Amino acid sequence: MTQYIIRRLIHSVIIVWGCATLVFFLLRAIPGDPIIQLLGPEYTPQAADALRAKLGLDEHVVVQYFRWMGNLLRGDLGSSITGAESVRSAILTGLPRTMSIAALAFLIATAIAVPAGIMAALRRNSVADFAVSTVAFIGVSMPSFWFGIILILIFSVELNWLPSLGYASISDDGLWEWFKHLILPSLAIGAGYAAILMRFVRAGLLEALSSDYIRTARSKGLTERRVVIAHGLRNSLIPVITVAGIQVALLLSGAVVIETVFSIRGIGRLLVGAIFDKDYPMVQGAILVVAVIFVFANLIVDIAYTLIDPRIKYE
Amino acid sequence: MSTRETIDWSVLSGPRVSRRTLLNVAVASGSVAYASQLVGAAAAPVRQNLNALRQEATQGGTLRWGFGLGQIPTLDPAQVNLGIVAGELLSNIFSGLVQFDEELGIVPDLAEEWAVSEDGLVYTFTLRPGLTFHNGDTLTANDFIYTYERTINPDFASPQANKLALITDIQAPDDTTLVITQSATNAPFLAVACSRGPGRALAPISKRAIDEMGDEQFGLAPIGCGPFMIDPATVEVGGGFEMNAFEGWYGGRPLLDKVVVQLVAEASTLVSALEAGDVDMVDIVPLIGYDQLAANDEVTLVEAAGTNWEALTMNQARPPWDNVDARMAVAKAIDRDDVNDKAFFGRAITSVGFIAPAFGWVYRPPEEVDDPQAFNLDEARQLAEAAGLDGLQPGLIGTADDQRVTETLRSQLSEIGLDVQLDQMQTNAYVERRTAGDYDMVILGSVVDADPDDGCWNYFHSTGPSNSYAYNNPEADRLADAQRQSSNQEERAALLQELQALVAGEAVYAFLYHYPDVTGFYTYVQGYTPIPEQRYLETVWLDQ
Repeated sequence: MTQYIIRRLIHSVIIVWGCATLVFFLLRAIPGDPIIQLLGPEYTPQAADALRAKLGLDEHVVVQYFRWMGNLLRGDLGSSITGAESVRSAILTGLPRTMSIAALAFLIATAIAVPAGIMAALRRNSVADFAVSTVAFIGVSMPSFWFGIILILIFSVELNWLPSLGYASISDDGLWEWFKHLILPSLAIGAGYAAILMRFVRAGLLEALSSDYIRTARSKGLTERRVVIAHGLRNSLIPVITVAGIQVALLLSGAVVIETVFSIRGIGRLLVGAIFDKDYPMVQGAILVVAVIFVFANLIVDIAYTLIDPRIKYE
Repeated sequence: MSTRETIDWSVLSGPRVSRRTLLNVAVASGSVAYASQLVGAAAAPVRQNLNALRQEATQGGTLRWGFGLGQIPTLDPAQVNLGIVAGELLSNIFSGLVQFDEELGIVPDLAEEWAVSEDGLVYTFTLRPGLTFHNGDTLTANDFIYTYERTINPDFASPQANKLALITDIQAPDDTTLVITQSATNAPFLAVACSRGPGRALAPISKRAIDEMGDEQFGLAPIGCGPFMIDPATVEVGGGFEMNAFEGWYGGRPLLDKVVVQLVAEASTLVSALEAGDVDMVDIVPLIGYDQLAANDEVTLVEAAGTNWEALTMNQARPPWDNVDARMAVAKAIDRDDVNDKAFFGRAITSVGFIAPAFGWVYRPPEEVDDPQAFNLDEARQLAEAAGLDGLQPGLIGTADDQRVTETLRSQLSEIGLDVQLDQMQTNAYVERRTAGDYDMVILGSVVDADPDDGCWNYFHSTGPSNSYAYNNPEADRLADAQRQSSNQEERAALLQELQALVAGEAVYAFLYHYPDVTGFYTYVQGYTPIPEQRYLETVWLDQ
């Protein structure tokens, strides 16, 4: 197991490196010169040359790449292209926000999807199953940004219960303020995730409940509750957890959109802004962090398999 | 000894140069005597306002201000290249030598008066005594010399350096006297290089602040000299920042205690944030939310004339667009009212040229102008046929911001047989291709102009930096230069109008619209003075 984890960690480093390298060269291959954007259309060629030299963008792209890699290995992500902000601190500020939204979205989705999925599976083809499936279908079809705007209109503009934008930190504003600012964005991305998750819980549980060990469990006289939770649900969790790993990507990409709708500068909005500004160091840094999160989330999923299903062993 | 015929530059002297006054002066006399009367007249109206307001207004409170930008890369005046950031944010953090009144006339700011030599080359500013920066340092004429040297340093690569290119000498004979000499006459100099906000090229920079903070940190939380000062601990690039009242401002403490600037990139979020009461004011009301906010009794919308123009241009370096008939066919095929309805919900002003409505001294509304580009599909079709436009597939470059306009234009231009290919891209790619002249058609224009020259010389002079579409007409060059060199406002207006008629007649652009400047706030926000595309907040207070 330890060996497996070490091997996976080495793989992860290679994947992250590949991703960072790809982004580095892709950024420079797509059209648009950051210098012109920084100086505005009335720039002089001298000013452009001076700025290009100052930012090290006058050097060959391979030289730039090795300099960036060298700094990266020393833990230095550099500064934003205007020089005003360190990439590291921008990411450290943004990361807790994105993670907060993603974590709460995950909790909301699980809290909705698991009971709903169980109910739908147990009362298969009933009105309840049909209702839950219909809601889930709507949830999957609804773009998160649109749902976010609808939530703002209902809960902020009409009812005035929750803030329509921004983020409050736990340390400065307290737990309640933090939570209040996160509910709507988390719900907006959590809804789509809940719908997918619910479908997997329902399908997994249906399959498990029709298997032989469930019949055995029932014939041993276990309560229906114990049969469903301990035997049925646990065995249906493998596909659910696989989806959860993949869904980390959905939650992160959902954050890109939802952070713009709710004006929260997490990793997502940081990335969008940096892409628009052709802020090379910031895009590279943000993508690197997203890649790390994604790779490790999937590593954790693989390890979680062994905890849930003792039959799975890694060598 | 001055007569009506001689060019007398001293009319630009002041403690107050209103456009209207200037016009009257120029008509009435040679104006030296009149201008000298102006020197030493009463204090600026903005300051009087503020002092009068102190009696009735509630002092204190925090204004939460939603600002429709995703991020602000820098607040260093010399590095800001967005007019909105300059006019609406910098103007609260930095004072200028002069500032604008409601009609974009020029009134004192840090300089209580100024004189311009008769040949128009030498500007002598007299600063108010006892000025200070936010860090408590005294602000003297020498700080402007430092600012000038910093801005024009080629290694510093300031996008504002070109505004100071004509300066040959800058001197500070004493702490409150600043003398600037230029190599040629430059009518818009006060507005574009010395004004609070847009004239950021000379917004005074504290040398000690730069030495201590470095350029990068200064760009995040600059030490200014305006009514509000940034709290460095609150600055978050892409999030916003807080500004506190500056007790040491020459005009006295502003009425608000604090302004919280919250950046909101998404237009619909900005509208909702105001409706939900999460902000007290938005900088610019997105037109998509205009009706929604107008229906809200608790919200006040204030509309000022725009100082901008937007239009469609065709690259004359690429046939058939070198043919004036081809260009005019396009111009006449465009139904500007329809563009206005579809793209701006009918809120924009259709345009017949580059002279923006905010410049009342020279602007003429469309109905008073003989418009060679008036919508006429029959004539457009005839011209298009003669120019062989049928079946052509010109590429129109733009950004997501232009999408409603470009899509409307594509559909309209199909009426004359053009199959316009929309090429929507990111801003930097768009700017790069636009600057390089790599396009058939482009939506282009000028925004947040301090003077009509901003939206004129750069676009119609053969060597203008924005003229990437190969327009070259010696007569246009002559008019563009002449309006810069004219000190007589009436004469200048005539020259600008003549130039506008010339470029409209040659269809250098198919002129489209002027975007109105609309701000919105709750009714309890009081004391706001609408100055086109500026937001001076020192007189704002909260009636709560």
